[in-house]
Amino acid sequence: MTFVYAAALAVAILAVAPFVAHLLQRRRADERDFPPARLVPPSQPVARRRRRIDDRALYAVRTVAVLALALLGATPFARCSSLALGREGGASIALAIVLDDSLSMLAEVEQKTRWDRALRAADELVEGAREGDAVGVVLAGAPPRIALAATTDLAAARSVVRSLSASHRATDLEGALELAQSLVHGLPQTDRRMVLLSDLADGHPDGPPLGESSETPLWVPLTDLAQPAANCAVLRADRQRDRATIRVACFPAAESRRRSIEIYAGDKVVGRTPLPDEAGGVDVGVDLAGASGDLEARITGKDAIRADDVAPVLATTGGLSIAIIADPAGAKLVTGGAPPVEQALAALELDVRLRPLPLLPDRLEDLAGFAGMVIEDPPGFTPEARRSLAAWTDRGGVVLLALGPHAPLAPLGANFEPLVPGSITWGPSPSPGLDDKASVLFGSAAAGLVDFRPRGRATVDLNALGGAVQVSARWKDGAPWLIERPLGRGFVFILTVPTSPDESDLALRPAFLLLLDRLVDATRTRNGAYRITVGEAWSFEGAKSLEVVGPEKAQLRVTEEGTRKVVVPDRIGAYDITLDRDKLTRIVAASEKEVDGRPRKVSPGSQSSSLGDTRARVDLSPYLAIGLLALLVSELALRLRARRTPPLDAERASPAS
Amino acid sequence: MATPLRSIDWGSIAPLRLRARALADGVYAGAHRSLRRGPGVEFGGHREYVPGDDLRWLDHRALLRHDKLLVREFETETDRGLRIIIDASASMAFRGSKAPASKFAFAALLAGALARIALASGDPVGLEWLGGAAVRPLPAMSGREAFERVVGALESAATSGDLRLDAAALDQAFGAIARRAKRGTIIVLLSDLIDLPDEALDRFAALGLGGRVLLAVQVLDQDELTFPFHGTVRLRALEGASVVETDAEATREQYLAKLDGIADEWSAKLTYLGGQFVRASTSDDPAEIVRRSVSAVAGRFTHGIDG
Repeated sequence: MTFVYAAALAVAILAVAPFVAHLLQRRRADERDFPPARLVPPSQPVARRRRRIDDRALYAVRTVAVLALALLGATPFARCSSLALGREGGASIALAIVLDDSLSMLAEVEQKTRWDRALRAADELVEGAREGDAVGVVLAGAPPRIALAATTDLAAARSVVRSLSASHRATDLEGALELAQSLVHGLPQTDRRMVLLSDLADGHPDGPPLGESSETPLWVPLTDLAQPAANCAVLRADRQRDRATIRVACFPAAESRRRSIEIYAGDKVVGRTPLPDEAGGVDVGVDLAGASGDLEARITGKDAIRADDVAPVLATTGGLSIAIIADPAGAKLVTGGAPPVEQALAALELDVRLRPLPLLPDRLEDLAGFAGMVIEDPPGFTPEARRSLAAWTDRGGVVLLALGPHAPLAPLGANFEPLVPGSITWGPSPSPGLDDKASVLFGSAAAGLVDFRPRGRATVDLNALGGAVQVSARWKDGAPWLIERPLGRGFVFILTVPTSPDESDLALRPAFLLLLDRLVDATRTRNGAYRITVGEAWSFEGAKSLEVVGPEKAQLRVTEEGTRKVVVPDRIGAYDITLDRDKLTRIVAASEKEVDGRPRKVSPGSQSSSLGDTRARVDLSPYLAIGLLALLVSELALRLRARRTPPLDAERASPAS
Repeated sequence: MATPLRSIDWGSIAPLRLRARALADGVYAGAHRSLRRGPGVEFGGHREYVPGDDLRWLDHRALLRHDKLLVREFETETDRGLRIIIDASASMAFRGSKAPASKFAFAALLAGALARIALASGDPVGLEWLGGAAVRPLPAMSGREAFERVVGALESAATSGDLRLDAAALDQAFGAIARRAKRGTIIVLLSDLIDLPDEALDRFAALGLGGRVLLAVQVLDQDELTFPFHGTVRLRALEGASVVETDAEATREQYLAKLDGIADEWSAKLTYLGGQFVRASTSDDPAEIVRRSVSAVAGRFTHGIDG
């Protein structure tokens, strides 16, 4: 700022001059002696009111005029500040804007969220783009998404940017930058840029600096957003009878001091426990003392992000539950413990609740609590069990049926319908091992089954299964080893060997774990996971109708991918799902790593002034000059009006008054 | 709040002694004939003759007309004294922007002139005060020294006091006259009449009982008569603590109406009792005011004699 600019701005001090003049004009009248003063009626309010009305309008006009004059004199300095790209030689630019729409961007800075700042910056960048520039937009909330493919239609880009909204997703900056780079790669513009508008808190503060190995130059303009935000979040809240287990994460650890987790039933607090003084995720137990109704876990106090301070408390029985039905005698291990299939599922830690059952329930109500089922070497199903099983699979139940030596020993009236229609035989395998080329489902793990030698194998009548059947793995002689069959909205895996160690060593092979993972994945897909992390999708295979209402009572958009319906929630909280007239409640939880507010480092070149800056690009002087002219006209009009307005005495004297 | 003592702004009226004498001499020349044309004494009625009565007062015409001996009775002219009550309260110290002197100075000039006229006729003159400081009431006296004493008392006085708060002031001035003034005494009140207590008019009117003659001379400044202010003004009364902020143009008419109301009230009441009311401005010619005052009083007598 030069002396001239400063002097021009100093003129603004004269804005008080009209006020001083106003005070002088409104000073108290000189007091003078007048013996008959008591005979004179006071008329002070009338006089002052009239003067106040006139003076106020003129005063405002004159004050603004002086300010406008001062700014007009200083317009080389006083310009509207906005984000702008640097250009070398005026060439067109291919610009990929990476906009972070993660949860941490909801932290407030000076009464505005980081998201608002970033969105405004993106809007300014698009506004500053010229004809011939290409603009693409990538959202960095996990998983990264392309909001706008690179386009030279700047109006469309502007419209897309202004329609974006924040989410509660985790952050994936690296993935977003890869997407952004792919957006501008191959475009005709030789000058390509990526602009990252983020707080850089992606949960990997020690990761390599962003933009270090990028071919496309990266510019990170909003460095002031990269300040660690103190925050505590409720990640999960499960209820088990009279106790709730709340998973909480705080950053930094000191943020948890003097804060507590409270359980609310409506407006009433039914449980309270102070937060432990630890950073990162930690489970906190809260006694509920028989509380009933809808419960909600809240963290006391305030922090940078309020959206993650609340979570619904739901019974864990509502989670993804899989029943294990195995004969304890036949599927036991020499070392003892649960059957191998149950132990393997528990070892995978797939956030699945396992429940061993001695028998297949006969009633549909008993099956309704399970999303999946593993049935080990059953001797057929009774008619009652078949009826309930058919209804259950029709509503989305997923079954892994491992056929074994008991299969042909079904008693009278029992068979394997509706899972496996037709006859089933059991006998020694004429050809040991699987055909790895016909078992691509398992990938490299299929090689481990080449020398698979069970004591026997079941044979299934494929023709009786219908046309939708898929054989996912075969024996070397071509017989099916694993059959996948959709049934209603549900799904059936038919394995022609049992998992019992007495019959084979299948439980020891890697492909077995892949099979179980596939089972759980199908179960989630068919039923929709009970709890997912924000940004993940609910996929409902075979659903005829689907309606999802979010925590803000807004209905989510459902997309169809083949025979499945997919919904991607981007807000944490409880969702009400109506799936083929079935009412479900599902939870979307915050990502634990999103709580870590430490920013990721960026390469030094990412803040180079050659990429762009926040210097002014808009000269205000024409607008100020027009404004000043308008003010002068206003003053003239006010003066003219005041001259035409009859004096108060004349108004009183007129007959109309 | 105590009213400050104010010295008299005599303006162009000083020296009072000479101005009053010159003024009285001018007025006397005009009033002399009027005074001497009448009998100089007041006719008191007839009564039947009793032996021992002075035969000079036998009414011969009545004897011829009614065939009765009747004696004419007269009141002696030495009973016609002049009592001046002069207002020396704080408000009388006011002198407007264009006035030659303060209201008190003008009133004192009128008082001095009236006193000299009366004294020249041989009538005794007394002086009473309403308010004021360093004031000296003078009993009715005549002779060559009287005029000097009256003028001396007027010159040594200072204005002070709020008559609306000083209930004893009326008693002090009016009470003395009520007790001592005889029938036929002329009582002249010189005041602005603005800040007098509400009962002042009734009390003054009561002095007119018993054959006394009342004359009230309202002395006002030209500013008080015209209210020459413009725009918003703050006006402070000299008596009391009232301060009024007003729009001069908006309230002028109301003020003048109230001022005239006071004059009308005094005039009506005094006229009803046979008294007289004269309004004077300090900008007026004092000779004219004295002449009007003397004429008013003389007219009262002429009317009484004729009637």
